[in-house]
Amino acid sequence: MVVWRRTVLAGGVLAALLLAAVFAARPADARRSLPTTSVGVGAREYRLTAYRTSVPRGTVRFNLANYGEDRHDLVVRTRGGRELARTAEVRAGKRATLQVRLGPGTYRLICDLADHEVRGMHTTLRVTR
Amino acid sequence: MSAVGVAETAQSVVADEPVAEVARRRRTRRAARRRHGRQKAHRRPRQGSVGSPGWNEAHVRRLFWRAGFGATPVEARRWAKRGKAATLDFVVNGPPGGAKLRGPEPRVDGRTLDPLNEWGDNVLWWLDRMVRTTYPLQEKLTLFWHDHFATSEQETPLMLAQNRMLRRRALGSFRDLLGDVTRDPAMQLFLSLAGSTKDAPNENFARELMELFTLGTGYSERDVREAARALTGFTADWHDNGTVTIQYEADEHDDGVKTLLGRRGRFAINDVLDLVTAHPNHAPFLVNKLWSFFVATPPSRATVRALAATYRAGGLRVKPLVRAILEHPQLYRNLDEPDLVKCPVVYVAGALRTTGSHISQNYPTWLLETMGQYPFYPPSVAGWDWGPAWMSSNSMRQRFTLGNYVVNYGRPRVRRGSAPATLTAQEAYDLAWRAVAEPQVSSATRAALVHLAAHFFDDLDPDWRDKADWRGEALQATLRHLLLVCPDSQLH
Repeated sequence: MVVWRRTVLAGGVLAALLLAAVFAARPADARRSLPTTSVGVGAREYRLTAYRTSVPRGTVRFNLANYGEDRHDLVVRTRGGRELARTAEVRAGKRATLQVRLGPGTYRLICDLADHEVRGMHTTLRVTR
Repeated sequence: MSAVGVAETAQSVVADEPVAEVARRRRTRRAARRRHGRQKAHRRPRQGSVGSPGWNEAHVRRLFWRAGFGATPVEARRWAKRGKAATLDFVVNGPPGGAKLRGPEPRVDGRTLDPLNEWGDNVLWWLDRMVRTTYPLQEKLTLFWHDHFATSEQETPLMLAQNRMLRRRALGSFRDLLGDVTRDPAMQLFLSLAGSTKDAPNENFARELMELFTLGTGYSERDVREAARALTGFTADWHDNGTVTIQYEADEHDDGVKTLLGRRGRFAINDVLDLVTAHPNHAPFLVNKLWSFFVATPPSRATVRALAATYRAGGLRVKPLVRAILEHPQLYRNLDEPDLVKCPVVYVAGALRTTGSHISQNYPTWLLETMGQYPFYPPSVAGWDWGPAWMSSNSMRQRFTLGNYVVNYGRPRVRRGSAPATLTAQEAYDLAWRAVAEPQVSSATRAALVHLAAHFFDDLDPDWRDKADWRGEALQATLRHLLLVCPDSQLH
């Protein structure tokens, strides 16, 4: 009887551990299955153009190209102004990539060098569910 | 041992041989039969199937390379039979119903192309059109106009829009094309026509309009300044989402009297374009430029005069002029000795198209960049340097690399069991030659490759040769690669 009970107990523990492992794995799997979407971004004086204005939630890869004559960068901010990611300064004619995971919402893309944002180097990106 | 010899030997299979060995021998026998059949077809006289006197596969190959991106063996045979006039009609006018893309959609790393958002996909997108189009001349002329109206380093959506416009106008009226180029946002931003106002006229576009786009010579500095005044009034209108459209604002236009190319008046944009295209230097200028795109040797004065007359008589339409160049006897000179260097784009697109390969990887993008011709990024407003300038040591090395990719990932890939080591040197060469679409090869190159094949197994014990198919396959890959990259393949 004791042996039987111990067996049931051990089996239950094992099943619980397996279930826990499965449920623990789900969020990670779900995260992994979210798509990566590329967004081309062109920078020039004094415009910032995103070639996609809406993307599904997940990883967004910004492919920034500087078509202008000055240095520019790309900064991703929430609508409230919190900075999420940024590139280094990109020289004229050069390119940079910035990868960031974004949930649903609206994000602001800017160049924050000097007064570039005020002069027009900003745009928005909408992330859908 | 000949291929037929292989088949005969394979018939005497002993009963207790392993099944795999028997199956291998059967495959070899079937392959030998197929080869034998193809060899018979290959031995058909090249000059025999002529649809019109003096028109054969060599003419078709020359025409298809110059007017497009090469001919497959099937195309060469088909159009040799149909004759010169029918072939030229097809090449110049394209298929009934317009251009279509034939074959599998391009995929890179398992995904479809995203020309706007993925770096290099715009290049692959255009290259794919060159590989799969049913109207290659249209793509070839789109490339010509991209070099002629060289615009560079502008936003991807603008460059793609310009590319579509160049394709739409490629064989139509030059005047209409020039009008669209003048108003094209990528060009307007590239040569600072947008923002050129009566108070501060910018001369960039006006200068290139005369020097590079329409005349070459026959104008003065004053003409440039006056044309710049007449071209004022365009502004770039940026929208909230970052896109741009070009507007014309009459208030910013200089409506004063100008003196331009010997004429006087209150000229505006269309007047400038009409004046430069009516100038006596325009037709010879464009004739020379187009001629040098298709033919290596310069035209005689009489040829230029005749072609210019054709161009003017056709109301400045490009198609009649191009047709006249494509049917000119000089284009078919020295069919055995091609003399026009393939530019990198034509070399890459041609290698893929003629061998039946498709865009499946992104290697063409970085190869084209290092070969010196990265589409959408001509080095200056004067376009690329053509001719022998393409054959730098670095560029040639990258052409060699391209051959490797095509043989490894394209249709000429050597399948296991397809190339027994027992083939004779000539058979091995023929097999490779057919696999890469029967390219034109000089006798010297052919002799060198057959010699290579003849000595490829010298280090191998002769008794082992019929068991060394992997060496036969290595030889095939080598021969196919060398046929794709040999000196003969650099020219068309």
